Amino acid sequence: MNDTGEHNHLDQQDVGPTEAGLSRRDFLRTSGAAATVAALAEVPAALAEEAPAQSPAKAIGPEPVQLTLDVNGAAMTTYVEPRVTLLDALRNYLDVTGCKRVCDRGTCGACTVMVDGKPIYSCTLLALEAEGKKIKTAESLIDGGKLDAVPAAFVKHDAQQCGFCTPGFVVAMRAAFDQNPNATPAEIEEALSGNICRCGTYQQMRDAIVALCKNQPGLGTRKKEG
Amino acid sequence: MATSWPKKRRLIGAKVQRLDGPAKATGKAKYSYDINRKGMLHAVLLRCPYAHAKIKSLDTAAAEKMSGVKAIHPIKKVGEELFWAGEEILGLAADTEEHALDAVRAVKIEYEVLPHLVKEEDALKNDPQTVSPVGGKRNNVLAAKEAASQGFEKGMADAAVTVEGSYGVPTICHQCLESHGLVAEWNANGELTVWASTQAVTATAAILAGHFRIPANKVKCITHYMGGGFGSKFGPDIQGIVAAELARKANAPVKLMLDRASEITAGGCRPSAYGKVKIGATKDGKVTAYEVDCYGTPGVGLSDTVTFNALPYVYPFEHKRKHVRIRTNTQLQRAMRAPNHPQNCALTEFILDDLAAKLEMDPMQLRLKNLPQNDPNAMQNAPHSLPALRHTIYTREIEIAAALSKWKEKWHPPGKTPGIIKHGIGMALHTWTGQAVPQRNECTVIISADGSVTARTSSQDLGTGQRTVTALVTAEILGLEPEQITLQFGESPNGASSGSGGSTTVPSQAPATLRAATAARDDLFAKIAPKLSAKAEDLVIERGKVVDRASGKSWDWKKACAALGEEKAQATGFWTAAESNKPENKDVSSSGVGGVQIAEVLVDTETGVVRCTQIVAVQDCGMVVNRLTCESQVAGGVIMGLNYALFEERIMDRVTGRQVNPDMEFYKLGGIEDMPKILVYLHDMPERGVIGVGEPPVISTHAAIGNAIFNALGVRVPHTPFTPERVLAALAAKGGGQ
Repeated sequence: MNDTGEHNHLDQQDVGPTEAGLSRRDFLRTSGAAATVAALAEVPAALAEEAPAQSPAKAIGPEPVQLTLDVNGAAMTTYVEPRVTLLDALRNYLDVTGCKRVCDRGTCGACTVMVDGKPIYSCTLLALEAEGKKIKTAESLIDGGKLDAVPAAFVKHDAQQCGFCTPGFVVAMRAAFDQNPNATPAEIEEALSGNICRCGTYQQMRDAIVALCKNQPGLGTRKKEG
Repeated sequence: MATSWPKKRRLIGAKVQRLDGPAKATGKAKYSYDINRKGMLHAVLLRCPYAHAKIKSLDTAAAEKMSGVKAIHPIKKVGEELFWAGEEILGLAADTEEHALDAVRAVKIEYEVLPHLVKEEDALKNDPQTVSPVGGKRNNVLAAKEAASQGFEKGMADAAVTVEGSYGVPTICHQCLESHGLVAEWNANGELTVWASTQAVTATAAILAGHFRIPANKVKCITHYMGGGFGSKFGPDIQGIVAAELARKANAPVKLMLDRASEITAGGCRPSAYGKVKIGATKDGKVTAYEVDCYGTPGVGLSDTVTFNALPYVYPFEHKRKHVRIRTNTQLQRAMRAPNHPQNCALTEFILDDLAAKLEMDPMQLRLKNLPQNDPNAMQNAPHSLPALRHTIYTREIEIAAALSKWKEKWHPPGKTPGIIKHGIGMALHTWTGQAVPQRNECTVIISADGSVTARTSSQDLGTGQRTVTALVTAEILGLEPEQITLQFGESPNGASSGSGGSTTVPSQAPATLRAATAARDDLFAKIAPKLSAKAEDLVIERGKVVDRASGKSWDWKKACAALGEEKAQATGFWTAAESNKPENKDVSSSGVGGVQIAEVLVDTETGVVRCTQIVAVQDCGMVVNRLTCESQVAGGVIMGLNYALFEERIMDRVTGRQVNPDMEFYKLGGIEDMPKILVYLHDMPERGVIGVGEPPVISTHAAIGNAIFNALGVRVPHTPFTPERVLAALAAKGGGQ
């Protein structure tokens, strides 16, 4: 959000729907941030409090609301409080546990999933914001025992030890190759710079990256490797 | 009966892919953190925010009424004293994690805040007595341990050259990616099952059974996958006990995994070590005496922060040593990957390069002059022991490391490269034990009539590849492939095992597996021989088949096993330190390794940024079992050691008494782009038998990097991590980098 003109208009008009289908105004209201924004914009407090009454916008939460997510091609429905992150919705409510909770604040990458093809930290997105989007986790990278080329390279080159960071790395790397099938090893490494491994598997990960980059034609089209 | 490894080895020593690799890489592997049970509650802990305080009042009435709250378990009572920020006060379970977090915030608690001390150097000026009483005394500074060898005074007097320096390593955190914790579930018969993130499956079950005063066979601990421990996960801990208490109170399964800040502030840390070191030598570089006066903090605990009897490290110098433990209002230190050896290594290896510089010697030559000699007694009585081989091993490993790193071409006198970005190369040595433990370790191998084979143990795979080692050894003996072995791992009822610490798991478990597979094979031969019209003693295994040496007939594995009919062939093997020491079992497992690392760096003298460009790691571990995962262990150790060198430090705030970086953005760990090229060379010595390798490769990396920085700058950066700030400060103290 910029700090120039946008705040001044928040009180008078909606700034359009957010990606999750909620208007930004609704989102701010339900997340408790509206008061802060109003104060920043120097709107009298009384006026700010009146604003919701004048607006037809629907407030949601704090009680659980229905949530339907498209996870690895399956529609999954549950009820979560609006404050629940995508990561926690997947792990605690839908039993999709390939994405791991480690730092829980957008630093380590262990919770990386693809949302509409983009790698994101699922701990930094509210579950409600992910509705209507295609979510892919590491679990999607094996199909009836047939491994996708990326996890297959991790296995072949032993690019994992305890394995807790691995699904996050695998998803981030898969997304990087999807975005650029002709990526160089250095570009793949850059795409992995938001992921942290504690056991120290980077050397073997590099071996896997080099091998994958050599087989680039197979990667962009998601051809599977045995 | 004597135990020995097969003379001809097909799988042992080869590269075998991790059998659980696909499950882990695709997120299908279920870690303890991933266990979701029907009706499961989520629990959180309330922790003390002060480094030292007394609880004045505690009121949970409001919290109990909060939505979804099912149980509260008190840990501390009103009037009790708390000694570090993060100490556990109570546990609370609710239907959702969100409700649990809301409710714990509703606990009303008042503290009487007391004086604290969190920085060890502060205690040296004035002991404020802020810790729990020991023998009625609250001293932060404990009495010094002191010792000297007989020849020390003479050695220092005889020295033609002496060098002094101050060196140190800070407290660092284990930072396990899967945090500590477990899921606890009681059944109607009063039996407890826990899915625990632990390095010690059987001990975790036993401690819980002890806590609840129930028979050991009423508690089952399961650890199928484990997301990092590094020495910090040897039991249920307080959070595991509280989870089981809450589960019993609420009559529902409870998950309690630490959040990140708790993981870092309460889940374990490696103690610090800072010391003044003095070394004396002859003009040609023979060290005559070594003196160290060091201190460190074990947190609220009492343990040493160095391995006192192994100072100096590796080199047998005449010595005088002093160590002071400083108790602080910080979490209790825990074992961390080769406990206290990195500290010893820093306090020994840094000054060797400073001495070499003063003598204008190549530090590799200095080390070669001062290596420990092979012990003549050991050469007679235990020719494959480290004392019998240490000079031979280190000399050979230095030679290999020198060749791989091109030391002769690349080494230059310290600080003698031109330009702003300076190149440096440095080395360091290490040692570790890594032998079978005294406790019994068991493995059971079962062969069924359909030819399927199961290997079963309670031992755990922390990501070291233990599962694959068990399959590989079983497959080697039975002529099969590792993926043909079904593994039942990490469940406490599966027999005796010990915790995975001290690099002891492979040397304790692999011989047990060898014995189990061999005895199961013999049981198979005894049971099928009559049906195959053969004598059991004539039957042998070849790859994929059973062969009758008398008749020359052979049966493929499945056909041979089919002759078992209704029966199974089965055996349990065990191993202990005592078994390892029996003459008839010699060279099955052994103890004691060396190891040499050489690091190269580029140091920007304007910004202070250090970039490590290459590390050569030469490591022995007796007989290599799985070359693939063994190399991974060594490379992983090097990377962890690089993190120690360049990034990791727990930073405590003197005023609030809290850690200011209990996270992953300000507690730094390297990413893939920070990594140097790593060359791993396994110095295989199969004649020595199996020795553990998990810990040794982490020990000397920070010392090698520190010495490489010294070589680049000609200036010692005395304390890890070697941050830009510290590099610039060291340069400024010596009057700039040029």
